[in-house]
Amino acid sequence: MTNNIFIVAKYEFLKRVKTKWFVITTLLGPMALIAFIAIIGYVSISSLTSDDKTVAVLDATGILFDGLNDEDGQITFVVSNMPEDSVRKAVIRGVFDGYLLLDDQIISGSGEATYFSKDGGGASFFSRKLRNLVRSTVEERRLLEQHVPPEVFEILNARVDVNMVKLSDTGETTGGTEAFAVVGFIMGFLIYIAMLVYGSVVMQGVMQEKINRVVEIIVSSVRPFDLLMGKVLGIGAMGLLQMTFWAILIMAGVLLSGTVVAAFLDPATLNLPASASQDELLAAADFTIPSIEPAVFIWFVAFFLLGYLLYASLFSAIGSTVEQQQDAQSLMLPVMLPIILSIVFLQPLIEAPNSTLAIVLSMIPFTSPISMVVRFAITDIPFWEVSLSFLILVGSFIGSIWVASRIYRVGILMYGKKASFADLIRWARLS
Amino acid sequence: MPELRVDGVTKRFDKVLAVDNASFTASPGRILGLLGPNGAGKTTTIRMIAYITVPDTGQVLFGDKQVGPWSQKQMGYLPEERGLYRKMKVGEQLTYFGELKGLSHSEAVKRVKHWLDRFDASDWYGRKTNELSKGMQQKVQFVTAVLHDPELLILDEPFVGLDPINAEVLQGVIMELKEAGRTILFASHRMEQVEQLCDDICLISQGKIVVNGELREIKKSFGRNTILLDFEGPDGFLDDLESRQLVRINVRSKSHAEIRLLNDTRPRVVLDEALRHTHEISRFELVEPSMREIFVTAVTAQQGAEAIEV
Repeated sequence: MTNNIFIVAKYEFLKRVKTKWFVITTLLGPMALIAFIAIIGYVSISSLTSDDKTVAVLDATGILFDGLNDEDGQITFVVSNMPEDSVRKAVIRGVFDGYLLLDDQIISGSGEATYFSKDGGGASFFSRKLRNLVRSTVEERRLLEQHVPPEVFEILNARVDVNMVKLSDTGETTGGTEAFAVVGFIMGFLIYIAMLVYGSVVMQGVMQEKINRVVEIIVSSVRPFDLLMGKVLGIGAMGLLQMTFWAILIMAGVLLSGTVVAAFLDPATLNLPASASQDELLAAADFTIPSIEPAVFIWFVAFFLLGYLLYASLFSAIGSTVEQQQDAQSLMLPVMLPIILSIVFLQPLIEAPNSTLAIVLSMIPFTSPISMVVRFAITDIPFWEVSLSFLILVGSFIGSIWVASRIYRVGILMYGKKASFADLIRWARLS
Repeated sequence: MPELRVDGVTKRFDKVLAVDNASFTASPGRILGLLGPNGAGKTTTIRMIAYITVPDTGQVLFGDKQVGPWSQKQMGYLPEERGLYRKMKVGEQLTYFGELKGLSHSEAVKRVKHWLDRFDASDWYGRKTNELSKGMQQKVQFVTAVLHDPELLILDEPFVGLDPINAEVLQGVIMELKEAGRTILFASHRMEQVEQLCDDICLISQGKIVVNGELREIKKSFGRNTILLDFEGPDGFLDDLESRQLVRINVRSKSHAEIRLLNDTRPRVVLDEALRHTHEISRFELVEPSMREIFVTAVTAQQGAEAIEV
């Protein structure tokens, strides 16, 4: 019996690993991921820099303009004595990028500053910088008028660092919680791929065998359950190989990420000498490679495998009942819904990993593989809670493979009839 | 060598009674022809023998044990609906099927090579299945059934799609396996092949066995009531005989007729008419009915009886 499962698994594995599809997706998968990350990185970095702008200043106070000075030289301030109407026209004509109107009451606290431009300023890096410049200039002026000694200025300008530290039973981990959210997100996403993509591969395989009619030869040699299990395990092994390959690449990437990030950092903006070492740079930029506990990896692999097995069994049952791809769609929807839900709830889950919603999602077997792993990566979860969730998942898999094999047994030999859900339930109950 | 015994087997799908209390035996060293019209329950019966499905009541015994995973290893099955993995290489997929039947990998490879050799197809080993012609695939399919040297061989329409030369090769192999004492089940609609190959017959109609036994005995029991006539000249007299309900014409061409005598018609009556109307007679022979004749008679009678029952 088990020998048959092994033989089927072996051939399913070899058959797929040798295909072009496998080689291409394995090699191109990480490239697609890198391209994806690079695009996001490029977009977020490009919003940090902006083109040089020239801003006309209508300074009603007559003294603030002298303090307005952008050290980076990206914003050039030009004082203007013309009436507002002509400055406005100049901006519309494109002579200036915009003009800044400083109220004469601004220093006493009742006035305000207004920036006029064709693009409205927006929430860009530029508007943030302008706001900061105006604010600090006005503040400085206010303090000067109150005759505050220069020592106070220094104290006010001193940097205040706030560090994020994750507490856990085993100690504490320095590093942004964002880093853990990213780790959780990647893990959740990998499980999502495992369940959906490898699950569909199983379904396609089952369908192909049925359409080819090769299934009748095989079930005259092995029990349908052995064939089903062998197929699920063989494709699972293929998935595991692919994922392991990717995991090694990701780990290598993480180890190299410090160098890559450091290369993008400019020592000057971090108030460091140009000769600063990589470690100094990263420390100043608050970048730490998150150290992941082994338990996170172990649970990830466990939930990854069981999540795949659960969905593979469900998808195989569907595959056995249909003869055409289109017919599979309507049956696939209810199975895919929980997977999609887990992805939809990923954001709230990352933000509040211990909310009731998060706990419920990480206990329901159809959503737990993604939800539990994401939570576990972000926050500390008691051992009993993870174990309980895992046991529920294992139990559900045993139940689902039992039901699936019964549907499968009937489905693979049933031709010319489109099965409904009522049929599936009836087949599962047939002895 | 064990014999196959189907014992009071019934199988029902929803409201349809596919096989109704069927019993028959297939013996080693003999070929049993499993016949019946489309939808008679042949495939269902075969699947129960192959342990792909199980009967609702009754049992299938191979030797003195019920069929099960153990008997699947000793059985080769060529289903009517052929199926191979289209993108897998011929050698690889045959080896896979061999291993599933319990052969070790190296043994399976050895036998695959042996059988491909036998069919003059050694160079197919590394070729993908979808590159082969239909007839070639047919041979590959046959190899899957005999690879593990099974005690019991179930062949459903093994000759479909083969040219006469390849059909002859295949027939040689089947006869060889029979001589070696294998139990062979042969399902076909080609009655002349059945007549040529089978020792025993089991005819199923609407899930019931209507004729079962040794082919020679069955023929004898139907009596010498068929005339083979080869002639030259007008054939209008045949229509006349038929309209008088004296005979039924089974096979008819310009100069040949297979004539079944009805209602105790004497052969002489036909000969007299033939002498009177034809220019020349080259053959007039009284023979046992053909398998085709038996098939039609038995099935018509059974379905008629069924109609009366309902």
